[in-house]
Amino acid sequence: MDPVKKTAKELKAERRALQERQRAEKAARAAGNAAVPSKKPASGSGASSTVGSTTATSTTATPLSETSGSTKTTDSKQRHSLTKEINNKEINNKQVDMFSHLEITKGANTGLAPKEIHPAILVLGLQFSEFKICGANARCIAALTAFQKVIQDYKTPEGTTLSRHLPTHLSPQITYLVNARPMSVGMGNAIRHLKWEISTIDIEMSDDEAKKLLCEKIDNFIRDSITVADRVIVEYGLQKIQDGDVILTYARSSVVQQLLLEAHTKGIKFKVIIIDSRPRLEGKKLLNCLVNAGINCTYAFLHAVGFAMRDVSKVFLGAHAFMSNGALYSRVGTAMVAMMAKEKNIPVIICCETYKFTDKVQLDSFVMNEQGNPNDIVNISTTLTPKPGLLSEWLNKPDLKLLNLLYDLTPSKYITTVITEVGMIPCTSVPVILREYK
Amino acid sequence: MLLRQVVSATRWNQVETLIKVVKEDVGRRLVMAQPRELAVGNIVRRVLRLIREVYNSEVATFDDNSAEDDDKDSNTDDDEKEDEEIKSKSSQKIRTFSFYGGSGTGTNTHSSMINLLGDGSPMGAKRASPLIISELQEMINELENTYVNIIDQAMEHIHSNEIIMTVGKSRTVEMFLKTAAKKRKFSVLVAETFPTYLGHEMALSLSEAGIDTTVISDSAIFAVMSRVNKVIMGTHAVLANGGLISVSGAQMVATAAKHHSKPVVVCTGLYKLSPLYPYDEDSFNDLVAPDPVFSFNEGDLIDKVTLLNPYYDYVSPELVSLFITNTGGHPPSYLYRLINENYDPDDTDI
Repeated sequence: MDPVKKTAKELKAERRALQERQRAEKAARAAGNAAVPSKKPASGSGASSTVGSTTATSTTATPLSETSGSTKTTDSKQRHSLTKEINNKEINNKQVDMFSHLEITKGANTGLAPKEIHPAILVLGLQFSEFKICGANARCIAALTAFQKVIQDYKTPEGTTLSRHLPTHLSPQITYLVNARPMSVGMGNAIRHLKWEISTIDIEMSDDEAKKLLCEKIDNFIRDSITVADRVIVEYGLQKIQDGDVILTYARSSVVQQLLLEAHTKGIKFKVIIIDSRPRLEGKKLLNCLVNAGINCTYAFLHAVGFAMRDVSKVFLGAHAFMSNGALYSRVGTAMVAMMAKEKNIPVIICCETYKFTDKVQLDSFVMNEQGNPNDIVNISTTLTPKPGLLSEWLNKPDLKLLNLLYDLTPSKYITTVITEVGMIPCTSVPVILREYK
Repeated sequence: MLLRQVVSATRWNQVETLIKVVKEDVGRRLVMAQPRELAVGNIVRRVLRLIREVYNSEVATFDDNSAEDDDKDSNTDDDEKEDEEIKSKSSQKIRTFSFYGGSGTGTNTHSSMINLLGDGSPMGAKRASPLIISELQEMINELENTYVNIIDQAMEHIHSNEIIMTVGKSRTVEMFLKTAAKKRKFSVLVAETFPTYLGHEMALSLSEAGIDTTVISDSAIFAVMSRVNKVIMGTHAVLANGGLISVSGAQMVATAAKHHSKPVVVCTGLYKLSPLYPYDEDSFNDLVAPDPVFSFNEGDLIDKVTLLNPYYDYVSPELVSLFITNTGGHPPSYLYRLINENYDPDDTDI
């Protein structure tokens, strides 16, 4: 690409961003919460960062004051949003053909968010898109807690009822979150559950009571489907860990982590092999946690999985979602670990809460998946300090593309059993559970 | 590659059976210098085989003429001169390798052996040495042409619009793909091959040659395998059963390919074919410094953790569909035949 064209594109993008910001600001003022002195947006691209931050404050300085701490992160992100946008465009031009139907996560743009988006949701969107909160359970809990705040701050307008209007108020918030990062299956199920709860609320019920009831329901959902479910899964899992076991796990799953810690406190003597992969390095967190608890750990990367598999007696893996055809949708690389274990006839045990079950079916890792930022592949450091590798110039090489997939699909034949809060089941029983318990 | 040629150049001089012992000495020295470098041993074996063959045929023809004794001494002198010439050529190469010491002692021992020979060598096989030298020259030529021979087959294996996966960086595969790219349009997925990032180098080089290249993280190999048409990879060595000693990560690529029923094609020169048998997967593996896996400056956590960073992977022969060698394409089941052809069974243990 020649530099002249690029700058033209850059300018165009900047102008558009500026316009949209102005519009957003106007809308914010019109909405009546213009307590913040609104500066006239200075023209010229140099001033655009200040404009960005003003808008951010005016949109976020709405009802809740508790978010003021997080507004700061919003501001700094805002400043980068322009360069990011341009970068994204270039990255999108270099999409890998067979994955061109999957959009590369763009990152949340708080400046352009519609005014009705609740600040809690704005913050959450950012955290999602920056992978500050990741892991299916963590994301689901965070989303539900944010919705609780939204509901608490919600007022039913005149001439309508809560059960009718609240869903329409929630849907843009959900869309915003999905734009920040595609929703996980568990989150989808949780939100569906929430909407169903809203629809069953009695029309006669007063706003305050209804809101209190809904918040309670959300708490219950988190408790029943995630917290307690995890505890039950850990109980079941403990039966499967014996003295002398060598347990292999991949990346980091919150349930598996709880299970291993619990097994250790129960005094079971076992070793753990943690397999990790680039670029996310999630296994390192797990390693830290287990080593601090005093568990004997071995740490290796995915390339050593064949080598490490020799002494393993069991493989424990977490899940992002379970498809109705018994396929496991989880962190990319899981399929490889399960396959290698199967190759050596080692049992593969998946820990998964039933709220992650979905009635969708999937056969490959292409149709539904998520792409991370390809630039993560360029960074070849395994520590926090980034270290650009050979490929740092990849955007300028016309024939070179990078692919950073986030998930993959493990076929059911590699999975020995699934531990859920309703018991240990074969993975082909997913549709049965869905039928029985929904 | 070069050092093997050097090895062969120093090696040939002493033709007779007695001297083979010396060669085995030299050979053993070289092999011990880097036991994982199986190719060195392979070349030594081939040279030995060659010497034996020439010697045997000479013995057969000269059995009748017993009047050869007088020629002996003059012939040895000639040999020595020729040796010197070839040595001087090869010594430049020798110096570039740390094997200099090994081959140096080799030459000393062999000159002393020549004297020994002059006294009491059993046969009049001295005549054979020029023959052996020419045969060796032929072998060196063959080694030099290995790449060319492999690359020439590129067109037979890659069709248009194919998606090819490769792992690590192999010069053979790189040239193979680039040759194919001159006439066909296809795309390549390169697994980044974690600790060494050889995949990054490979991808850079391929993309500069105009091949549509995509780098994927090692973890995504399984996910994209269903769209791949073929896996083409290089190897470090090929074992007697058709198994590979290859860059770590190759095993998972091959296993994933097998799961999706995709052919795994291995491009390799015959000199990598070793008559050794992997009785145990790890016998040819090396665990190297774990620094790339877990940086040493990350604090005291490292003291409490075992880190694994294997350098090679063993890929069993069931996972390989085809070997493309300089003598053509062979299935893994045929390799034992090639081993018989190239090496003498007596030389398996150096």
